[in-house]
Amino acid sequence: MKLKFKEIRKALYIFATEKTIGFTLIAIFLGLVIGAIFLAIAGFNPFQAYGIILRGIFSKPSYISYTIIRATPLILTGLSIAFAFKTGLFNIGAEGQYIIGSVVATAAGYFLHLPLFIHIPVVIISAVVAAGIWGGLAGYFKAKFGVHEVISTIMLNWIALYFQNFLIYTEGFQKPGGETSYSIQPTANMTILKAWKGSVAGREWLLQHPFWKDLLRTPMNWGFLIAILMAVLVWFILNKTALGYRLRAVGFNKFAAEYGGINVNKNLIISMFIAGGLAGLAGALQVVGVSHKVTLIAAMEGYGFDGIAVALIANSSAMGCILAGLLFGALKYGGAKIQPFMRAPSEVISIVIGSIVFFISIPKLIKLILTKKIKKGGTK
Amino acid sequence: MFKKIIAIFVIVLFVMSIFSCGQVKKESSIKIAMVTDVGGINDQSFNQSAWEGLKRAEKELSIGVGYLESSQDADYAPNMETLLDAGNDLIWGIGFKMGDTIKEKAMANPDQQYAIIDYAYGDETPINVVGVVFKEQEPSFLVGYIAGKMTKANKVGFVGGMKFPLIEKFEYGFKAGVKLANPDAEIFSQYADSFTDAAKGKAIANQMYENGADIVYHAAGGVGDGVIEAAKEQDKFAIGVDRDQNSLAPEHVITSAMKRVDNAIFNVAQLLVKGEFPGGTTVVYGLKEGGVGIAPTSYKLVPADILEEVAELKAKVISGEIVVPYTPDTYAEWLK
Amino acid sequence: MMETIFSNFALIIGTTLMYSTPLIYTSLGGVLAENSGVINIGLEGMMIIGAFAGATLGYFVGNPWIAFIGAGVAGGIYGLLHAVACVSFGANQVVSGIAINFLGIGVALFLSRMFFEGATMTKSIPLDFKMPRPLNGVFPDGSFLNIILDNQYATVYVALIFVLLIWFFLYKTKYGLRLRSVGEHPTAADTLGINVIRIRYFAVIMSGVMAGFGGAAMSLAIVSNFRPTLISGHGFIALAAMIFGKWKPQGALLACLLFGGSQGLAVFLGQFNFEISSQLISMLPYVITIVVLIGFVGKSAAPAADGIPYEKEHKY
Repeated sequence: MKLKFKEIRKALYIFATEKTIGFTLIAIFLGLVIGAIFLAIAGFNPFQAYGIILRGIFSKPSYISYTIIRATPLILTGLSIAFAFKTGLFNIGAEGQYIIGSVVATAAGYFLHLPLFIHIPVVIISAVVAAGIWGGLAGYFKAKFGVHEVISTIMLNWIALYFQNFLIYTEGFQKPGGETSYSIQPTANMTILKAWKGSVAGREWLLQHPFWKDLLRTPMNWGFLIAILMAVLVWFILNKTALGYRLRAVGFNKFAAEYGGINVNKNLIISMFIAGGLAGLAGALQVVGVSHKVTLIAAMEGYGFDGIAVALIANSSAMGCILAGLLFGALKYGGAKIQPFMRAPSEVISIVIGSIVFFISIPKLIKLILTKKIKKGGTK
Repeated sequence: MFKKIIAIFVIVLFVMSIFSCGQVKKESSIKIAMVTDVGGINDQSFNQSAWEGLKRAEKELSIGVGYLESSQDADYAPNMETLLDAGNDLIWGIGFKMGDTIKEKAMANPDQQYAIIDYAYGDETPINVVGVVFKEQEPSFLVGYIAGKMTKANKVGFVGGMKFPLIEKFEYGFKAGVKLANPDAEIFSQYADSFTDAAKGKAIANQMYENGADIVYHAAGGVGDGVIEAAKEQDKFAIGVDRDQNSLAPEHVITSAMKRVDNAIFNVAQLLVKGEFPGGTTVVYGLKEGGVGIAPTSYKLVPADILEEVAELKAKVISGEIVVPYTPDTYAEWLK
Repeated sequence: MMETIFSNFALIIGTTLMYSTPLIYTSLGGVLAENSGVINIGLEGMMIIGAFAGATLGYFVGNPWIAFIGAGVAGGIYGLLHAVACVSFGANQVVSGIAINFLGIGVALFLSRMFFEGATMTKSIPLDFKMPRPLNGVFPDGSFLNIILDNQYATVYVALIFVLLIWFFLYKTKYGLRLRSVGEHPTAADTLGINVIRIRYFAVIMSGVMAGFGGAAMSLAIVSNFRPTLISGHGFIALAAMIFGKWKPQGALLACLLFGGSQGLAVFLGQFNFEISSQLISMLPYVITIVVLIGFVGKSAAPAADGIPYEKEHKY
């Protein structure tokens, strides 16, 4: 029995040190343990709580679908931040870029009248470009005036928030008597079978086919696939292109890059443009695929800030952002369900996520615990 | 030893997680649950009030209740689905932001009953939906009247959260009340563009008090905390909103315009238990229905004779003799 | 006419002081941590903890100073968490800071439910048990100074004193010199016999204390209770102010005052019913900050070793 434990520990140690994904899994597990402790203190059965979360994520096709839909914008804002990290920038501005993306997408989706297969790309591209410019602005301020991107993006976040509200209040865009914009034209809609689902025939057919009803009740759309595509694209740009090489060189050592003949300022702007575009895409996809309009916002919705955590859990790897985004989406979506079923406070989820990120920040501690165990185990 | 405990803990955690899946308590009685809007369950406003109504229903009608909090607008639809799957007899959406979502879900699930606070579908109300709206202008009108009577400086103020039709109902109802009591009174009005920035609320209220106002009414959520704080400091008066906010500053909050979301929720629950769910209709809660009113603690700071006048005014509103304005246009009409 | 201009001006200054105070404490915390070479992006979370602790202690104990100090201690304990991760375990400091932010709101709400019968809003503290207002009623009613200072809480003056103290500490004492040298060049500092680890621990814990004060300046002075949205983005604004102020206490002070001042201006302009949307006025503080940065401040450089974990074995 002793021997076995020793082996498990050894295996865990190798798992944790040699492969970052293994280490991430251990951090996730520890985060869940901390959450369990808090739940237990508050007098709730943590096993039951985690059971509800698991069931709330996996027990129905529609739950899985919702988890994916919840995760899609987080994957993209995570990618945006991870991309900026790789090029040596800290993009706290994903929140504002997301807002710009969603409001521009709504405007393009509502005001333009185009055929189906042209409208969606036009909406998405205009949103991405607008958000890219919004992000690029921070890059420009840094390149031209030396303004630290952390300050400018924090300010741009708030400016974007008020800007969206300002636009919603404009006549012709605001739905009369409401606090939202008009909905986008049907041609700009990317939710699968949206029109049919709302029609009388569609509703009746679905009532008789529970499986399809369950599956189609979510605003299923192509956003997730686009997000994956983007992750691949980001990975490709960073690792397989000359542009990516230059961007990473700037991120790795600005001065060496400059010495090596790379135009640092230009690359700064490009990098922030791409980061902004990715976050803007998140907003655009949310509009064409899920919400179809924008609403007055009184406070930040948190897509950008959650994206920071996603990028960090993913260790800034493009592919990792997909998994981290899914994890984050699942925790947020499934975690909310412990409330109605057992009245456990849902802020436990914040504690779980915070603990996961915390453990991710300290690989040394986890390694230390595991090595100590091996040493102790050896002497016993 | 420590390691073994951890190892056992790991195994137990996973096993239990999987097996405990089916252990959700099933209750035989009627179940009602609600989805909060992004304000969350402790917003000191309609979400909290709604939950209090449900808790009261749980106790008095012995039904099962629960809630689900939304952290983003995109959460409303999935939260509705979660509650649908949990087998609730009635699902509440708390807040106008869920208007479209509730309608869509109600059309897709004709056997499920829904209800919504602060949203009216009018003639297009689906048969399985109840829309509940409040005449916020009516209690605002009454507190406005109190303010108009009690102001010594002939200047009062209104601080709004964000400018949209729901909050404007508070503003214009209040203004009409002030003008009725005191046609010469000057009314300052300013929006904070936030429901959270207490410091901004305080700064705006300070400015109003400094400009001579002595009573400020707010309809601004967390921003209002700052308004009431300013009243405390400057020893001026403030008027609370949604709930009886007198406890925040017992000597300075003279009254509050209450919106009894809790009563509305409880009433609908009662009807549901009796099997008289008013599906397909819009229920309007005004003074007449007891769905809105002024705070019971008003007697502490408002002179009795003014309260008597308010009671008469209330009777006039109930009888329909006075129709309180609630939009810029109806207010302009009223002034004539 | 002249009188109204004066009183309006006084109002803006008063709002500026009120708005800036929590930011000043918090950005001073950032100054301390980052000058020792540890990035502290967790200021927001530490502020939330401080605001909650201050409001809770203020309600139960009834003494504002105990509550204020308690908020500092709570922030400090939270800073210790960041310090352990960043100093002892060489954590990625940005990651740890983000974790602190998530944990801050989670822990504060969780504890609030335990102390206040399931509510996430603490109960209101009566005016007499809030921070004192030293100059309340000192100047004649309606006078210029009265409008500015009548309702300013002790926290405002304490914040200004802290700016002086920290400036003095950093630039006029040998410990401050040590702290800065640790942030600029830890290896060299180490060879000179300076205990890098201890200094960084001190700096990060103190930054938590200051952020805790910042939160309490919100919940014990500006308002009298804690609610989940009380601190929404203030920590990040303070972070920006610290960078804006070029990692110096006096610079951070000016940046915070600029931000508070533009909020005051926005509130002032908001009272007139202009044709322009109030949204654009609300945008003003953030636009002004960027414009000032572009026009007048220019490049700022962090301490050289900011963000780099220090390990003895590590070869530079």
